[in-house]
Amino acid sequence: MDYYFIIFAIMAVGAAIFTITVRDALPSALGLLTVFIALSALYLHLHAPLIAIFQVSIYAGAILVLVVFVIMLLITPDEQLGSPQKNISYRSMGAILGAYLIALLIIGMKGINQIVSRKGLPDGFGHPSLVGELFFKHYLLHFEMASVLLLVALIAAIYLAKKKL
Amino acid sequence: MAGINQYIILSCILFGLGTIGFLTRRNALILFMSVELMLNSINLMLVAFSATRADMAGQVMVLFIFAVAAAEVAVGLAILICLFKHMKSVDLNKFNLLKW
Repeated sequence: MDYYFIIFAIMAVGAAIFTITVRDALPSALGLLTVFIALSALYLHLHAPLIAIFQVSIYAGAILVLVVFVIMLLITPDEQLGSPQKNISYRSMGAILGAYLIALLIIGMKGINQIVSRKGLPDGFGHPSLVGELFFKHYLLHFEMASVLLLVALIAAIYLAKKKL
Repeated sequence: MAGINQYIILSCILFGLGTIGFLTRRNALILFMSVELMLNSINLMLVAFSATRADMAGQVMVLFIFAVAAAEVAVGLAILICLFKHMKSVDLNKFNLLKW
């Protein structure tokens, strides 16, 4: 059996169940972070190192931080978080997350290519330079449209958050 | 090469969990996170098919989904902050102004 897949799949499903069942929003965000880390490990397994890095830096790094900031802004006095040291769910999720991050680092140092066979795949499949080549040759228009979309979203977010509606 | 079946099953499970979360929870923030979960399950399936077919276009599409998800979260959370300024709550059951 494929232990690498099983470990991270169980991690992803367990954290997803935690995300949708826990009562407060902040532990839920922590569960979602665990899902993102597990999926980034699975992307490494699927020969997509660039996607794995972007998963960590964009989803876990940018989007989730934004969500946590909004949770911080929206906490009302009657749902204070309490002391995080006493909350067992924070502690256990933090411990699991730390352990899996260490596992990811060890796998990275060992070299993912020793775990995943590249049988049946062309040379250099999944290399970031190939993704860049596709982006700027075949999907240039789509790339520009995505940047326009992000610009519009940026302006809209600033407008919505500033204006007194 | 890992079998694609296990990835399809995992992706379906994650998408189903995201759907369940979206339909059952009433906290708007957790709804957002459920949508992120569904988007991530689709990303996983795209990357799995990309590896199976040895076609890099799937990975490019995942990067576009990243851009769309970032835009969605930025605008959605801004709307949520506006709603919170008005209603002092993120409970969706209290947003019933247009309810018939």
